[in-house]
Amino acid sequence: MAEPYLSVRGLVKRFGPFTALAGVDLDVYPGEVHALLGDNGAGKSTLIKTLAGVHQPTEGQILIEGKPTEFRSPRDASAAGIGTVYQDLALNQLLSVTRNFFMGRELISPLGTMRTKEMNEIAHNEMLKIGIDFSDPTQAVGTMSGGQRQTLAIARAIYFGAKVLILDEPTSALGQKQQMGVLKTIKRVRQRGDIAIIFITHNEIHSRLVGDRFTFLALGKVIGAGASEEISDTEMRRLMSGGAEMGDLKQELASI
Amino acid sequence: MSDRSESDRLKQEGWLGRTLRRPEIGSFIVMVVIIVALAMASEGKAFNALGLKNNVAIISQLGIIATGAALLMIAGEFDLSIGPMIAFAGMSIAIMMKWGLPFGLGEATPFLAFLITLCMTLAFGWLIGNIIVRSGLSSFIVTLAFWFFLRGLTEVCFRLINQNTNVSGLPDYKETSWFAEQMGGEVFGWFYDAWFWIGTKVGAGLEFTADMSRDAKIDLITQLGFLNINRKMEQWVTGFDARLLWFIIIAGVAWFVLNRTQLGNWIYATGDNQDSARANGVPVDQVKIGLFMFSAFCATIFATCQVFDTNSSDAAKGMFKELEAIAIAVVGGILMTGGFGTILGVIFGAVTFGLVANAVFFIPWIDGSWFRVFVGTVLLAAVFANERIRKRITGGI
Ligand SMILES: Nc1ncnc2c1ncn2[C@@H]1O[C@H](COP(=O)(O)OP(=O)(O)OP(=O)(O)O)[C@@H](O)[C@H]1O
Ligand SMILES: [Mg+2]
Repeated sequence: MAEPYLSVRGLVKRFGPFTALAGVDLDVYPGEVHALLGDNGAGKSTLIKTLAGVHQPTEGQILIEGKPTEFRSPRDASAAGIGTVYQDLALNQLLSVTRNFFMGRELISPLGTMRTKEMNEIAHNEMLKIGIDFSDPTQAVGTMSGGQRQTLAIARAIYFGAKVLILDEPTSALGQKQQMGVLKTIKRVRQRGDIAIIFITHNEIHSRLVGDRFTFLALGKVIGAGASEEISDTEMRRLMSGGAEMGDLKQELASI
Repeated sequence: MSDRSESDRLKQEGWLGRTLRRPEIGSFIVMVVIIVALAMASEGKAFNALGLKNNVAIISQLGIIATGAALLMIAGEFDLSIGPMIAFAGMSIAIMMKWGLPFGLGEATPFLAFLITLCMTLAFGWLIGNIIVRSGLSSFIVTLAFWFFLRGLTEVCFRLINQNTNVSGLPDYKETSWFAEQMGGEVFGWFYDAWFWIGTKVGAGLEFTADMSRDAKIDLITQLGFLNINRKMEQWVTGFDARLLWFIIIAGVAWFVLNRTQLGNWIYATGDNQDSARANGVPVDQVKIGLFMFSAFCATIFATCQVFDTNSSDAAKGMFKELEAIAIAVVGGILMTGGFGTILGVIFGAVTFGLVANAVFFIPWIDGSWFRVFVGTVLLAAVFANERIRKRITGGI
């Protein structure tokens, strides 16, 4: 197995007295989809926000290609090749596709003006590469469907050199057909082979469909991890519900 | 591609359709209606040589501060301190011109007085911006505080230094200072020269004769007025107020920045969703602080033009100007919630407001307070219209 692009060792994150992450280990490899699973409040979003430089870890280390790294800001993280697609996507609805695509990283001519035409072309082409033909990149993002917005955010992260693509629940709040669209996009990105994908979801089927490796979080701790073929469906269901046995849950439900 | 059908649901429209959906279309229609109505009600007086000059003067004056307010609103913030900033800057310049530079540094020149004043107003803008981005307080409250602070400070300075809350009868610096002429003088003389030249050609046959009735004479005078010549066949309006040039420069720069530069994208992104802008590396705080300073800059230009035009200033200058600037921006299609709007819309808004504010001079039978009634009505209509635009773009949330 190749060397992991990104590793996390003993990561602890506290918000005041509240321990959101209590020592998390994680390895993500290029060309793999790493599904991060866990109940609401398990700490998934907190973990990826730490990786994205939004939060600073209280303890522990983040390693990029084996080298310890510190992210002071989202800029640091994206410079290190971590591209994050947030749950809320970090898109500006009133702005055009192109303006969103290049937000904060506009292409400038020597005179200081934006190279609008070139930017429109790139936005269009990059989105086409991972699956949508969006005819008018000057259209406002607010008019796009949820699946298209996901694609825009993913295309943007990849274009700006993401080596690790972090997707926080990209399929929630989407209809069936659009969920499949996003999964296809993930597959296409995976096929490139040079990008590691961290995929957060609550959906067992989705993680089975695209996941190569799983990590299960519960109450801020890793309660299970392994490659897809090592983990059985029952084991997976047990871990996804925070480690409780399915039998126990059935009993609990029956007693109501 | 399964997603393909989606994007194609958006109909490709023709030129007309796209024009009708532009955000400025509402303010453009209102402007045209006002221009036509005013021309008819004033029997053309509003747009004769002098009428045009006076209208353009107030349009430019309002347009300058509205541009500053509009950029700030696009970035999602408000500035209620524009009016007091005008009063403060006017006070500062007028007092320096009358009493000399601070700390006994000698006589002030118009340019030096302007420069020192600008440093102070920019510092205030910087301070306001910093307080807002660091505290996370609403700009409404912080700039309201500065509204009181600056109004009070202006009066205190007037009384302490000048013993009186107004400075008047300053010498006419326009004759001696190039800078004062650029601020308070006249520009685009060629426009009226051309008008006069055409007027004399057309008016060559016009003359009073003994047997003319009174009505015929009045008719003739009206025509001469339109042609920019008086009874002695001389030119009597020589140019627009210098404010017009400043309005063109400021609006032009604002348009360029918004549409063509990286900073423009940052301004829109900051106002639309500042968290996502920040997550993408946009320096949101600096953008906001810079725009508060730009708003202070616009107020200072407004005040400087006023001082060197009238050779006076007083503590009540700039009254209600912050509200008018915001109203113009809103009527021009700038969303209260930020992230959307164009400079072209602001220009249309300024023209509409300027014309209505001046209407009382051209339509003698009208009560000047109808101006406010009109503003209130149009403002409300504009907010509803803008809300519809926003819903259309964001898919109705
Ligand atoms: N900035 C913060 N300050 C204090 N507590 C926080 C903060 N951010 C997250 N938390 C807490 O940390 C815990 C983990 O939250 P997190 O958002 O990481 O969960 P999650 O696994 O992403 O859940 P979900 O599946 O609902 O998205 C929650 O209890 C949350 O309340
Ligand atoms: Mg979450």
